[in-house]
Amino acid sequence: MYLPDFDYYAPESIGDVCRMLTEYEDSMILSGGTDVLPKMKNAVLAPKTLISLKRVILNEPGMKSISYEEGRGMVIGGACTHNELVFSEVLQSKYASVSHAAQSIAANQVRHAGTIAGNIINAVPSADLPPILIALNASVTLVGINGARSLSLESLFVGPGKTVIERDEVLTEVVIPDQAMTGSAYFKYGLRKAGALATVGVAAALQMEGNRILDIRLAFGAVAPVPMRAPQTESFLKGKEATEENLEAAAAIAHDECKPITDFRASEEYRRDLVGVYSKRAIRKAIADGHR
Amino acid sequence: MSEKFLLDDNGIKRFLVTINVNGIDYTKMVKANTLLASFLRDDLDLTGTKRGCELGDCGSCTVLVDGKPMNSCLILALEADHKKIVTIEGVSTTDDLDIVQEKFLEFGAIQCGYCSPGMIMSAKALLMRNPHPTYEEIADGIAGNLCRCSGYINIIRAILSASGQEVENY
Amino acid sequence: MADERENVGKIYAPRPYNVIGKSKPRIDGREKATGAGKYCGDLKMPNMLYGKLLQSPYAHAKILSIDTSEALKIPGVIDVITAKDVPDLKYGISPARWDENILCIEKVLFVGDKVAAVACLDEETCYKALQAIKVEYEPLKPVLDYRTAMDEDMPQIHAEYERNINTEIHQKFGDPDEVFKNAYHVRTDTFVGQRTYQSPIEPHSAISYWKEGKLTVWSSTQTVHYFQTYIARQFGLKLGDVRVIRPLIGGAFGGKLEPTGLEFCSAILSRRTGRPVKMFYDRHEMFAHNRGRHQGTYEITTGVDETGKILGVRCNFLLDGGAYTSLGIATAYYSGGLLTLTYDFENYEFNLRRMYTNLPACGAQRGHGAPQPKYAFESHLNNVAEDLGMDPIELRKRNTRKADTITINGFGIQSCHLDECIDKIVEVTDWEKKRKEGMPKNIGLGMATGSFVSGAGYPIVRSDYPHSSCMIRVNEDGTSATLYSMSVDIGQGSDTAYCQMAAEAMGYRYENMKIVAGDTETTPLDFGAYSSRQTLMGGWACKRAGEEIKSKILETAGFMLNLPPEDLICEDAKIWSRSRPKVEPLTFEEVAKKYFIIKGPLVGTGVYSPPRLGGYYKGAAVATSPAYSFCAQAAEVAVDEETGQVDILHAWDVHDAGQIINPNLMKGQVHGAFAMGFSESVYEQVLFDENGKLINPDLTNYRLITAKDMCKFDNYLIDATDEVAGPWGVKEVGEGANNPTMGAIRNAIMDAAGVSVSSLPITAEKVWRALKEKKAAEKAAAGKD
Repeated sequence: MYLPDFDYYAPESIGDVCRMLTEYEDSMILSGGTDVLPKMKNAVLAPKTLISLKRVILNEPGMKSISYEEGRGMVIGGACTHNELVFSEVLQSKYASVSHAAQSIAANQVRHAGTIAGNIINAVPSADLPPILIALNASVTLVGINGARSLSLESLFVGPGKTVIERDEVLTEVVIPDQAMTGSAYFKYGLRKAGALATVGVAAALQMEGNRILDIRLAFGAVAPVPMRAPQTESFLKGKEATEENLEAAAAIAHDECKPITDFRASEEYRRDLVGVYSKRAIRKAIADGHR
Repeated sequence: MSEKFLLDDNGIKRFLVTINVNGIDYTKMVKANTLLASFLRDDLDLTGTKRGCELGDCGSCTVLVDGKPMNSCLILALEADHKKIVTIEGVSTTDDLDIVQEKFLEFGAIQCGYCSPGMIMSAKALLMRNPHPTYEEIADGIAGNLCRCSGYINIIRAILSASGQEVENY
Repeated sequence: MADERENVGKIYAPRPYNVIGKSKPRIDGREKATGAGKYCGDLKMPNMLYGKLLQSPYAHAKILSIDTSEALKIPGVIDVITAKDVPDLKYGISPARWDENILCIEKVLFVGDKVAAVACLDEETCYKALQAIKVEYEPLKPVLDYRTAMDEDMPQIHAEYERNINTEIHQKFGDPDEVFKNAYHVRTDTFVGQRTYQSPIEPHSAISYWKEGKLTVWSSTQTVHYFQTYIARQFGLKLGDVRVIRPLIGGAFGGKLEPTGLEFCSAILSRRTGRPVKMFYDRHEMFAHNRGRHQGTYEITTGVDETGKILGVRCNFLLDGGAYTSLGIATAYYSGGLLTLTYDFENYEFNLRRMYTNLPACGAQRGHGAPQPKYAFESHLNNVAEDLGMDPIELRKRNTRKADTITINGFGIQSCHLDECIDKIVEVTDWEKKRKEGMPKNIGLGMATGSFVSGAGYPIVRSDYPHSSCMIRVNEDGTSATLYSMSVDIGQGSDTAYCQMAAEAMGYRYENMKIVAGDTETTPLDFGAYSSRQTLMGGWACKRAGEEIKSKILETAGFMLNLPPEDLICEDAKIWSRSRPKVEPLTFEEVAKKYFIIKGPLVGTGVYSPPRLGGYYKGAAVATSPAYSFCAQAAEVAVDEETGQVDILHAWDVHDAGQIINPNLMKGQVHGAFAMGFSESVYEQVLFDENGKLINPDLTNYRLITAKDMCKFDNYLIDATDEVAGPWGVKEVGEGANNPTMGAIRNAIMDAAGVSVSSLPITAEKVWRALKEKKAAEKAAAGKD
């Protein structure tokens, strides 16, 4: 295959990255490369310039760190690879559900290269990290020429491949806030046991009191143009006992609420059923295992 | 610090990179679109790193980048500048084979051999991180390396044995 | 060997083999494990150019014009060729139908068909050159569905083949219709198979160098002989002026059996530029070239008596052949031909049509033609057993093939231990207990049988040549011996097996063997790696060559010891006297050295030609073989009731593969064949959009199983070496081992979920849908009560 010509810069600072993104037309950020480069080889993308983060991550340690900050919550640098999420002790201890979601991505080699920011900003509907992060009410920090802004992850996506991120902005961190949710889980349905895109991804985060669901956030991947919340299913479950009967009823609502399409991987009808089934399973796991 | 480059007659930048491969620094001119896999195979003649799918799906081109197994078909040579790369040719630099290579031979884990270099690199990386992996951990560690010949059975047995665990050979 | 001296005093008795039957390390293992080994894509010649093929974007279109002028202006583009620059002689691996051109002349017949070729200074320039070639097409209506390809309103793809029928088979032995009339039970089922692709991990590649009237081609090929034959034919060259060399081959599975545009175009480009030219496929281009497994519809009717004895079978098959014949005529005959092997019945009718479509050509994938029909037959037999209220094993045991029988379509079976294979499957799977006591909910057990040829009885390109031959040369001082053979090691380990067999026959050591293989100039003819032929056919050549060496060694040793050669034994590179056991043994080395000093090079040769095989009807030659392997496989699966996901938990294979030359290699073949069958059962399918364009020509969306998918697997062997047609009693194992897999897995899923999915692959969604329909039907039935 052939990677078409492009120009390449590897600036030292995030500020320089932001500036170059506006300065060079058709420029894109290159970080892990696991999404951009195959798309360029397949002629799906044809940027004229790639702006590498390789020096920025050396100069800005935050881009590569995963830490818990009192008052802010779990802060994950945008350039952290999927495997850094998998192996992070602090992430595992607080939100192993996020580590599990990262581990479900592609295969080992890709997990060593691909980054959390890439998984988010490419806005691929089947991406594995957005659903669990949205369920955990994560926000992202976007740094642009005029400074930084924080945005809830849920409000980031506009459509397949489209986000509200401005041309000059770099996603520098993902923040999972401290929360009342007592458990979370992500279930991925892929067409084989590794190296598969999500045909359906379901994340749940919930707050339990005894067997009662006080609060719940559900997020689905690959069943809508963007990762979607399930407000009707959530409001049905809020305040209810976590009985099998209620879960079945919730699954039926989730089934109707999602907006999947039919493609060569699965039919709409099948995806709807899977969303229902996986919602039940994610909820059960979040109840049983907490965030583990 | 920024990239050193020359402009060629067509206005294409030719960058100077220094990549450490198997312990030796190689300084070469590359284009922005030169992939690490091509750098290794075409510029250094290290053809043990295989070209399989070129999209990061098959793992045939797996090399260690600063100790981590990665698909060299999805890494620009420029991104590997000043990094340490280990290829299959660097697994054993003497005439003795590495334990993983030895076990691959002993357990019949090599058939056509095309996936073997990448598979061995993934196995090496796994054992460095996790010296006593379980069957499932091995399967996960090599799930990014597709093999069409073996059904993976003898490969997993070889890696188990290389980690010092008891495996019955027949 | 500590007991060597002890042996000296003992009376000679035949001992187990010294070299064969042992898991010797692969002869090419080290170079493969260290990355030192070179595959075709790794080779570089001085002054070499790189080339690529321009592929058609349309499934069916007229070529109106091709303008290469812009491409030729790009710096680094050396040459561009189109149909006018290459011979217009049609070719195809199967002489039964030559229907393919090196480059398309008037029409393109599938997305990916060959339109032009470029030669450039580097790879990158090739892609730029391809983009710059301007081709004007007039799109035609494509034929994309083989089931309607015959319809009146369908365009005809090849002018010579009316209604798009590529081949038609009607064979009838006995009279199934007649026996169905009085049968206790008659059942018809239809199953559907999918297109799959061999997907070797090594992409195809070829380097040609045409210099001074001689053409040398390095190629990733399974058979250098047929490549040489067709390349010579295409260019009007003498065989002797074409040299084909195989470097290491990174898997083939039937996908590298025929020369492609890569070989032909690189040759022309080399002749025009005077430089070596390397051409290669990208992964998606491999899928476009394809030649994978045919998809088909398989209708089978079986009549049985009340004991389950099969009285007759009728098959009506329809195959999608794609745009060209490839090896498809043989595939078509194999599809029905091989169904008579594992079960004995006296009335058989086999009808088939292979259709042309505007899709990539299908060919011979591992198990050639047989796995999908066998899946259909084994699934169908389970349905018949259920109708009879019979255990599926009991039904099979009622009908199993026996040794020394002839199938109704004329295949002579000598050794056959299928009954023992099935008995062993019953034992190792705990079948009786699981059937009687039942298994946990949603877990099921299924089995099927398999069989395959140990080498085709007739060559692909008809000739009187022996199918295998080889030469062994012992070096001057006897410390090594080199085996020369045109055989091809595609990963199955033939180089290793050949050296083991040669060393055994010579009374020599494997560790001292070298091999030169797969080079038409330096090695004697062997047809290569297809139809699981090499161990048996090449094995005879190795054995006979080795025995010639041994007899020369014994003669020389007799001279040296002053004893008659008949009194001497040569084993493990030592020569003993039977009558005078106290005489110090001679070493092979010293005897070989003496031979060289007295007589010159110590050389042995061996050849093998199969006997005349098969019946006298049309197509009788296909699926004949000197010997047939037999096996039984079982799988235990779990089905997720809510999602339909199938988890294969455990699988077993019991094989009657005759004498095993190298147990490790043999198991590798069984593992790999099963894994491919597993993958085809539940995952793999080549998909096209409504324009005939490939949807999933990559290794994420065309899903081979990964290490995480593979299940627990156990191999068993029937210890039987009574096959007289094979050297030491060897038989094949590499293809027969995926003959039963899809049927066994389907039957296990049926047992687990209680639903039948009648098409491959048995995806989770199909199981889910079947479960849903079953529940709905149960609900409806309950509602009526």
